[in-house]
Amino acid sequence: MHSLESYLYVSAILFALGLYAVVTRRNGIAVLMGVELILNSANLNFLAFARFGGVNLAGHIFALFVIIMAAAEAAVALAIVINIYKNYQSINVDEISALRQ
Amino acid sequence: MADAAFWLMALLTVASAVVVVHHDKLLYSAIALLFTFFGVAGLYIFLWADFLAAVQVVIYVGGILVLVIFGIMLTNKITTVNISHTSMQRGAGGLLVAFVLGSLGLMITKTPWLVQHAAEPDQTVATIGRLLMMDYLLPFEVASLLLLGALIGAATLSRREE
Amino acid sequence: MSNLHSLSHYWPELILTATILIGIIADLFYKPKDSGKTMYWIFGGLALTAFAVKLLSDSPAAILFMGTLAHDPFAWFFKMLIVLGTVIVLLMSGKSSELKNQSVGEYYVLIGIMVFGMFLMVSSIDMIMVYLAIEIVSLMSFILAGYLKNDKSSNEASLKYVIYGGFSSGIMLYGFSILFGLTGTTKLYEIGPALATLDGTANFAIMISAIFILAGFGYKISAVPFHFWTPDVYEGSPTPVTAYLSVAPKAAGFALLIRFFSAVFGTGENVAAGIIPVSSALPWPQILAILAVMTMTLGNLVAIQQESVKRMLAYSSIAHAGYMLMGLPMLSADGISAVMVYLVMYLFMNLGAFFIVMVVQAKMGGDSFSDFSGLGWEMPLLGVAMTLFMFSLTGIPPTAGFIGKYYLFAAVIQAGPSFYWLAFAGAVNSVISLYYYIRVIRQMYLEGERSETIQVPAFMTSLIILVLAIPTLVFGVYWAPIADWVSSSMVFAIPSM
Repeated sequence: MHSLESYLYVSAILFALGLYAVVTRRNGIAVLMGVELILNSANLNFLAFARFGGVNLAGHIFALFVIIMAAAEAAVALAIVINIYKNYQSINVDEISALRQ
Repeated sequence: MADAAFWLMALLTVASAVVVVHHDKLLYSAIALLFTFFGVAGLYIFLWADFLAAVQVVIYVGGILVLVIFGIMLTNKITTVNISHTSMQRGAGGLLVAFVLGSLGLMITKTPWLVQHAAEPDQTVATIGRLLMMDYLLPFEVASLLLLGALIGAATLSRREE
Repeated sequence: MSNLHSLSHYWPELILTATILIGIIADLFYKPKDSGKTMYWIFGGLALTAFAVKLLSDSPAAILFMGTLAHDPFAWFFKMLIVLGTVIVLLMSGKSSELKNQSVGEYYVLIGIMVFGMFLMVSSIDMIMVYLAIEIVSLMSFILAGYLKNDKSSNEASLKYVIYGGFSSGIMLYGFSILFGLTGTTKLYEIGPALATLDGTANFAIMISAIFILAGFGYKISAVPFHFWTPDVYEGSPTPVTAYLSVAPKAAGFALLIRFFSAVFGTGENVAAGIIPVSSALPWPQILAILAVMTMTLGNLVAIQQESVKRMLAYSSIAHAGYMLMGLPMLSADGISAVMVYLVMYLFMNLGAFFIVMVVQAKMGGDSFSDFSGLGWEMPLLGVAMTLFMFSLTGIPPTAGFIGKYYLFAAVIQAGPSFYWLAFAGAVNSVISLYYYIRVIRQMYLEGERSETIQVPAFMTSLIILVLAIPTLVFGVYWAPIADWVSSSMVFAIPSM
């Protein structure tokens, strides 16, 4: 049967891919998708540890709250993105630099 | 049989996640993200987390992904015009990721994780419900306040000011 | 303590929740142009909340809600500090010219929810609660930073903030999951002993989790290298929000950092004193000291180059986070109380500096150094107060900032010769900071035309300036009450195993 480690490897790969999206992507929504990958990898960790740590459901509760927060954060993030779009007609992080010197 | 199904799920998750971070067209990335979320939900079932698998499908696929796609559609000029969407530091990013992945891999193999054997529960919903009403009652209530704040905030930000 | 019994110790938060709900409902009854009146409801609610915290501080320390919250003097100290900062920021917001053009009822409600989140941050002792508390504060900060919907820089600020905020809390979560995997629990005071029983093979995992968690906390207190969001967010946000973000969440972040790391990576008697210990796995003193020096140096070096005073203050607030981090590497109770003293002093002087910037923005329409020309002659009250705040931020006696720095340096030097270099780095940085703080004063008095007429600011503006300036001066010569308050607050509630 597959072991705890095999789940942790999958989650580590997801984490690394999410990190990659955050550091290389310039588009706001693409970076957000990378963040979702990182959150999923953390959740996978929690559930894997819960299952192999003797069905410790505290991990399930943690994962549940993470999913709730992710939804709330996505809602707020997209409200901001849409708001920016109204003002800029574009949402590329590099292009929006009213501030940068 | 179960092993084959597990590796299939793992492969689906990882492969679609690669597409998410690598595809130049945002909408394709979002569609690939759908498969990642499903793959992760599949892995949850292998982890005896039936309730969380359902929550993952309902909230991530039904909620968050729809929000993401809405965002892409409403701002669709970027996908068609595709300005500077191609990433700049892919090489450097790749190096960083290889380093992180290497460290995490080393950590996973070396560390004595807490492992205890237990029988597979029939279902987890009853226990989760009891935990939410007993041990984690305060976080549960606080989450409702947070959702209220997020609701007000999102509505305020996207409302047109007269 | 069980959930029902805990409620009797939970009055401040219950009052706060009621305040938030009343604020939402009250806002419905006001016309958009009157929506600023919601502020009075939140203001009154916060006053009651502070009163309740004060009343409860007679009760013994306890663990509430099945081991999720600590009810102890350490938390009360930070709760009072947070309410104090919030009340001042509410008054500032009422005078803000940026917020005048849109309906602001929700703005005050969101601040109320943020206060609730910070109350949780300073008292959580369960990883789930810690995560939720951080998320509440972050989410509300994102929205407040983007509150000026038609202002492009406010939009940009909140986009950056939300993206990197989500990113840093994701990394922190991964760190939490490692701790959960090693110990099988989410309770901070159970994780500590469980980690202590592990052998050396677990050290690498502990180190990675600590670094990941530090990334999440470092983001909140804007420590280098997790500071990159700070300048843009601070410059783009409405000025009262900038002032708020630079003070209240930072204080809550420090409280969380101290409690979390002492509980999780601490051993034995260290835990009771709230001391961050030398864990077997990690060279904590060196890591924290290097973090402190990097943070203050980068903040100061970049602050020198700024042309906007608001942006300069943003970098200077990074530098101040660095000074405060100086209090942690010695792993001593002195160091932690020095941080707490500094936070009190910092609250007044930093809010004061931002408030003057806000007044100048409203008058001149900008916040660059040239907008301050001749201000000292034209508006003497503003000039004198700003001079005081700048001296205090530099740490020149007899101001509050000097006392704060004195405590920090004393704690560093008492720790022995191995930390002298840290004190030296702090001193060099204070000298560097003198340059750009003095530049503001020079602009106000030596540049521009010397005005013949004297302008007196509106009553409310003068009042807020005095409320911030008087403590900045008084605590510089008579700081015993603050020192007493801090030393009586160094008590942590530890659940019995």
